[in-house]
Amino acid sequence: MPEHRSSREADKSLAVQTFDLGRSFGSLIAVDCLNIDIKQGELFALLGPNGSGKTTTINMLCCLLKPTRGTANVMGLDINREAHSVKALIGISPQDTTLSEHLSPLENLELMARLNNMEAKKARKYSADLVEVMGLQERAKDQVRRFSGGMKRRLSIAMSLISDPAVVFLDEPTLGLDPQARRALWDYIGNLKGEKTILLTTHYMEEADYLADRIGIIDAGKIAALGTAMELKAEVVDRQTVVINAWNLTVASLDAIKGRYPEVKVNGGQVSVAGKDLDFKEITDFVHSTGAIIRSAYFKEPSLEEAYLKITGKELVA
Amino acid sequence: MKFLTLAARNFKEIYRDPLALAFLLAFPLLFMLLFGFAVGGTSSPVYNVGVLDRDETELSGRFVNEVLAEVPSLNVSTFEDAESAAEKLKNGNIRAFVNIPEGFGGEVLKSYQNQSPDIVLNLTYDESDVSVSSQIYSTIDAAVREFAEVHIPVTINTSHLSVEAEVTQMDFVAPGIIIFGLLILVPTSARLMVKDKEAGYMSRLLTTPTRPWEFISGYSLALVVIAIVQIIIFIMLGVAFGMNIVGNIFLAFLVYFVAGLCSIGIGMVVAALSKSENQAEPLCWLIAMPLAVLSGVWFPQEIMPDFIQVLGDIFPFSHAVSASRMIIIRGADFGAVSSSIIFITAWAAGAFMLGIALFRHKMKG
Repeated sequence: MPEHRSSREADKSLAVQTFDLGRSFGSLIAVDCLNIDIKQGELFALLGPNGSGKTTTINMLCCLLKPTRGTANVMGLDINREAHSVKALIGISPQDTTLSEHLSPLENLELMARLNNMEAKKARKYSADLVEVMGLQERAKDQVRRFSGGMKRRLSIAMSLISDPAVVFLDEPTLGLDPQARRALWDYIGNLKGEKTILLTTHYMEEADYLADRIGIIDAGKIAALGTAMELKAEVVDRQTVVINAWNLTVASLDAIKGRYPEVKVNGGQVSVAGKDLDFKEITDFVHSTGAIIRSAYFKEPSLEEAYLKITGKELVA
Repeated sequence: MKFLTLAARNFKEIYRDPLALAFLLAFPLLFMLLFGFAVGGTSSPVYNVGVLDRDETELSGRFVNEVLAEVPSLNVSTFEDAESAAEKLKNGNIRAFVNIPEGFGGEVLKSYQNQSPDIVLNLTYDESDVSVSSQIYSTIDAAVREFAEVHIPVTINTSHLSVEAEVTQMDFVAPGIIIFGLLILVPTSARLMVKDKEAGYMSRLLTTPTRPWEFISGYSLALVVIAIVQIIIFIMLGVAFGMNIVGNIFLAFLVYFVAGLCSIGIGMVVAALSKSENQAEPLCWLIAMPLAVLSGVWFPQEIMPDFIQVLGDIFPFSHAVSASRMIIIRGADFGAVSSSIIFITAWAAGAFMLGIALFRHKMKG
């Protein structure tokens, strides 16, 4: 691999710093010149569709995959030159909930602790503590093959935390979970904020919006936008949406509304009018004048989804 | 016609997977070739036979050099004393030795002079394979009758070497079967690691600060325990079915143990090279089954052509088969099988080192 060092200055105080990090598989460029900085204690989300390079990035940072270009520092250590030391500082919950299915949660956790050089007594105590934190104490001695998807995910995250790592990588931690289990996991992850540096990948907008201190939108292996959820939404702040719920929306009234405003969406009894510098009173008066009976009307806040759409030019399908 | 659509899909799955296709076609082909070379064709077996000429007459010399030495199925070597011949027989270097007693030449001369001869030969044979021993007996009987121009059977006094126990067919078969059982550790070992690799669990383990040798040892150790249990069960079953262990049982165990290590080491190499169980499984059988044939697990190596025997001796399992048979049937001691044990151990060490090197390469991404 040709040695490549970006012109960026290395900052040892950062938890993760990448320098033109890239990985190709033959002619396919999975990750292209990635430059991100993640502060210690920060929860950073990489948001992007499947195949955008999120997992490849995590695999490189976890020293599972050698970069074909550039490098990265994790807690000041180079992933190419100091892989063994980097591994002692990180924890990972992979996209696939990979557990030792015939072991209990306690046994799974103790195994990971011991592989992370933790002494046996401490490993037992940490495992018992984490099982409790993750709400798995009642099934602590059952084989995990009988666990639900949500329980396995919780255990997978616990396994990434067992060595008390400085940096935790959570690759699609709520993939395939029902909304209730997902919300519960968000709470667990949210509690770690500030304590650990977390790099989380997701293709759920609301997950990134809810959890992340900062979000990097990744598309086709490149960072398309980077910032807090608010900063990203500010990209579309000049674009407003007035949402009106009304009765008696006839074909004639809808035709009239669509004829007057360029961007109109109709969903049952709801009409959304989008555009720049919208006049709330003028719109509601006009809708009323078409014969519709307005029940409620409000300005809708710009969403991360709209920001994503504007930045990448495509919708993110979850 | 959903089944045809499904059949077409499955057919495509097979022929678009080069490894699976190679396995389907190459495996039977390889087997047919191996078995064909091993036990088919027109080549006849050659047995190593020793001769001790106590008569030392011109006729006994001619019998050795012009008759026995010219028999295609015998590879004759001469000995000065019975002890060294017995030692070679015990170590499996020769399958029998002929003791030509004093007076042999005189009796042959009587036959030439149309007098009634009393021709006696003493044959000491390796009783580990009765069929081989009887072939040697018949060959020597025919040779001496032709040489002495007699049509009645001559007296061949026979004795066998392992007098401690009566040799049964099981004594010959069981050591081979045990090695075959240990060869099955090749796919078992590979499967254990590849399953974790395929499921992604290996990736999780690889993110821990664990060294390649620790991974290989961790996976192997569990299998070593299985190998030990397997060997104990095999030996117990062998004994239950009539296998007599003439030699030291612990020495036999040692031979099986190092052979088991070889299987596990080879399995680790296959695991390091394979990405999925679908790749590893056929590859393992492609290694294990031909090795079983080449190593004389089912058939004695002597009946195979020379180049097959040479090929078999490159691998550790033929040495394990012959060493274990020597211990179990002939009571060979450590000195007699030490070179085999060293060879097998070196193979195991080599396989593990290769496995670790491949694993290290894999860990670098």
